[in-house]
Amino acid sequence: MKKNKWYMLISLFAVISMVMVSCGGGADTAQAEAPAAEDAAVEEPAAEEPAAADAAAEPVTVDVWFHSGKGEEREVLDAQVTAFNEMQSDVQINAILLPEGSYNDQVNAAALSGDLPCLLDFDGPFLYNYAWAGYMRPLDDLVPADVKADFLPSIIAQGTYGGKLYSLGTFDSGLAIWGNKAYLDEAGVRIPTSIDDAWTMEEFTDALQKLNALDQVDYAIDFKLNYGPDDEWNTYGFAPIIQSFGGDLIDRTDYQSADGVLNGPESVAALEWFQSLFTDGYANPSPAGDDDFYGSKVAALSWVGHWMYGPHTEGLGDDAVLIPMPILGDKAVTGMGSWNWGITSTCENPEAAYTFLSYLIEPDEILHMTNANGAVPARKSAIAKSELFGEGGKLNIFVQQLENGVAVERPTTPAYPVITSAFRTAIWNIIAGADVQTELDKAVVTIDQDIQDNNGYPLPE
Amino acid sequence: MIGQKQIQPTIPKYRRKESLTAWLFSTPAIILLTLFLLVPFVWAIWLSFTNQRLIPNPNLPTEFVGLRNYIRIFQDDTFKRGLLNNFYFIAVVVPIQTSLALVLAMLINQQLKGMNIFRTIYFGPVVTAMTVVSIVWTLLYNPGEGLINAFLQAISFGKLGPYNWLMDTKLVFPAIMLLSIWQGVGFQMVIYLAGLQEIPHSLYEAAQVDGANSWQQFKNITLPQLRNTTIFVVLSTTIMAFKLFDQVQVMTNGGPQNASMTTMVYVVEMGWGQLKVGYASAISIVFFIIVLFVSLIQRYLTREKGSAA
Amino acid sequence: MNMDQGKTSRHSIKKVKRLKKWLTYLVMSLLAIFFMFPIVFMLMSSIKNNEYQVVTDMSSLRAFLPVGELGFQNYKDVFTSQHFGHVMFNSVFIMITTVVIGLFVNSMIAYALARLRFKGKTFLLSSIISLIIIPFESVAIPLLVMVNHLPWFGGETSWLDSYHVQIIPFIADAFSIFLFYQFFIDIPKDLEEAALIDGASHFGIYWKIVLPLSKPIFATVAILQALNSWNRFMWPLMVTRGTDVRPLTVGIQSYFGQDPRLWGDLMAFASLITIPVLIVFLLFQKWFVRSVASTGIKG
Repeated sequence: MKKNKWYMLISLFAVISMVMVSCGGGADTAQAEAPAAEDAAVEEPAAEEPAAADAAAEPVTVDVWFHSGKGEEREVLDAQVTAFNEMQSDVQINAILLPEGSYNDQVNAAALSGDLPCLLDFDGPFLYNYAWAGYMRPLDDLVPADVKADFLPSIIAQGTYGGKLYSLGTFDSGLAIWGNKAYLDEAGVRIPTSIDDAWTMEEFTDALQKLNALDQVDYAIDFKLNYGPDDEWNTYGFAPIIQSFGGDLIDRTDYQSADGVLNGPESVAALEWFQSLFTDGYANPSPAGDDDFYGSKVAALSWVGHWMYGPHTEGLGDDAVLIPMPILGDKAVTGMGSWNWGITSTCENPEAAYTFLSYLIEPDEILHMTNANGAVPARKSAIAKSELFGEGGKLNIFVQQLENGVAVERPTTPAYPVITSAFRTAIWNIIAGADVQTELDKAVVTIDQDIQDNNGYPLPE
Repeated sequence: MIGQKQIQPTIPKYRRKESLTAWLFSTPAIILLTLFLLVPFVWAIWLSFTNQRLIPNPNLPTEFVGLRNYIRIFQDDTFKRGLLNNFYFIAVVVPIQTSLALVLAMLINQQLKGMNIFRTIYFGPVVTAMTVVSIVWTLLYNPGEGLINAFLQAISFGKLGPYNWLMDTKLVFPAIMLLSIWQGVGFQMVIYLAGLQEIPHSLYEAAQVDGANSWQQFKNITLPQLRNTTIFVVLSTTIMAFKLFDQVQVMTNGGPQNASMTTMVYVVEMGWGQLKVGYASAISIVFFIIVLFVSLIQRYLTREKGSAA
Repeated sequence: MNMDQGKTSRHSIKKVKRLKKWLTYLVMSLLAIFFMFPIVFMLMSSIKNNEYQVVTDMSSLRAFLPVGELGFQNYKDVFTSQHFGHVMFNSVFIMITTVVIGLFVNSMIAYALARLRFKGKTFLLSSIISLIIIPFESVAIPLLVMVNHLPWFGGETSWLDSYHVQIIPFIADAFSIFLFYQFFIDIPKDLEEAALIDGASHFGIYWKIVLPLSKPIFATVAILQALNSWNRFMWPLMVTRGTDVRPLTVGIQSYFGQDPRLWGDLMAFASLITIPVLIVFLLFQKWFVRSVASTGIKG
């Protein structure tokens, strides 16, 4: 008994070391010699056969990964998968839900180990790295032109890398300012109702001063810093400030450098203004929690996205009003982008995967999802049917911003993870009082070095 | 005569058998450690000389970049700050946490009713999810509503604070330290409690007969008897201190201005956040060498009296 | 002098003793409050049915109080939506398997190092000690690439998304070996020598003599390894995919990500992880403390 065990362990070790020697791809040769793995011979074909050979007779199975976040989103996707599997018999969806908090890391790990599924969703701009490295398949030949034209321009911009469309989202996000109408009226501040009459910088500054003067208000505007320093919010929410002033995260003509752009005079001015909001007491660098705007009501404005619609209406009722992004510098700019679907290049049946995706982007299914998670529907025809986002709807301002070029997509470059990491660090240091120019210079060095290290991220082909 | 003849050949045979047994006993662990620790580590050393990305690009294969990563490390202020913080953390937390653990252990070692409950409560933070702990402490540190500022202001009649603990470059790391001590002390307390219960009661009785007061008893019996426990506690706290990660990532992500950066937070930010596996590997190799050096010194210092190892 | 005092004031000594007792209780209760608040926070938030209320309470002292609409809705949510039972089973199964096999593997090599004579022993020992300080984060990525190419008995060519990928790499543990070694080296040699003369094998000695004598160190190492396994996050994150083999630490990540978060559900999930461990500690602490008490680390 005992000896057997040793023998097994030793032979296992021998096998494993052989596998490692031939790591490049010769795993199957080592497999054949493995005394322990008895049915080694069966293994090789088993992996590929069912999908390709019997396609005609049996349904094609498509593996799908989806971020598993809030209950409603997950429930809707579950229902959509079930409905899709029942309504036709050619394609069967095998959906795996990965926890949202660690989704990006899990997808990265899967890319590294080479087991990405056929279809999966990405968190906003994290797609480009995969497209650049050749893991993704362009969707241009799959998406009909009329369908493409029906999408919000922001969704197409987010999904396009190197001139090709790699992803489609079923919903988008919206960023603007929420206001407490009671406070705004009391302070005598004009409330803009469309992007055409957005606040100018002067009006915005005036509003902040007047609101700060109210007794009930501790500080005029809440920037949701309770989301923490390690959150994508920091780039999503605050990059529009520098863009509104005329700066940007990177020079978008060729995505080769951030120098002179991220640390240029416009960006520096933008973040010096941002910093002054904290030093002058208009904003709180350490909010007590999430609810300063809608719960304790110590803040009069909240710089945040569509996702707070629920809590804001619950806390403020009709007093919660949506205000378009102000024109801080040359123009008003806001953020956009959310989860978007892409098909991998290793997918054996991209058409089958697209069949499912095309089901998800049907206007009714889009509404099915956005009614649950409160996001902006990705297609104009779906928006038209939406009570909240359609013409005259309470949240129509988000759509106006997305349709009219107020919303700017985050840089469509594989350098994005480094850009956001560097920018996030800079933003928090600046909020804590660090010198703006120094912090942005540091961020630029980090970004430019990464681009150089990767030969400028040359486009595939 | 016959005996001698028999013994002569059996000793080498016996030795050989002993040696064989030893290797058989060691084989599983050696294989596992080699395969799952040593081989990946050597691999990591190799990666540290390359520009390996987390998401490899077949069109832009990983290249050997020589010492580039290492040269960058020595110019990297964030890395230096993280490393210094690790040592700062050890210098402050290890002595405080160790003594606090001993005090707690002595408190709960008394023969009073309800001790089980108190022990469990003190142990609670050890098994509470770090994410939950970090959320609660972020609230406690809040400058406006946080309990810690309220407490400081109350005891100082409004002279101290309010401080913005997590946004102040001088206060942020001490704030992380306080949380870490609070979270980890329960485990060391249990180890010390065990050590205390092991001390023969007769030693204290003899000391009482000699008229020693409580302090003398503590100094001359408790402390020396707990020597090896202390070595264990110091060692394990140091190992934990080098791995400091969770609470920092959730609460400050190393900021502001790297004031709360630690090496592991930086490694993960480089490898997983910025996808630079090559550079992240180089940092962990340098870190390994430094920690190895420190632990050799520590071993040398704790060794002198011999009985430990 | 002592005697004098004792005679004259026996009564007051009793009084002082009682005072001291109450003082101890006071100090310990204050400390208890200090150590308890996150657990109170967690439990209180988990029994508030209204998500909106959980969030608004979090910024004030109400977070620590059972106020508002109370109930077990969050717990119901956790059980219905997260395969909680299965994920919990995974964590427990992985923990027990890792610990049990680990105890044998680590104690056997430690026994060899501490008690047997063989060439290369010193080298082996110091190598293992230096392995203690390799941070897992630094080997994680190569390890992931490697396990992805390892064969398994069913003919699979990858270990990903399995139980064994979460168990086998953590069976051998350098720190545990070191602790066992420290303990074994102190066991008196006479017993062993007697057994050898009686013709016992080394395995027999290990099994019948050393093992029974070393229960305490086995308990210590088991607890250390169990806590490590229970809290392991980064690795399972990298190697698991679906819920089949997902452990609790990855499961809880479903509650992080986009805002607003479901704090009530998150706190219910966290309570379900924490409370059983605390109950186990409460019930077994005497046994635990006693076992640690007689380990090599004591003195």
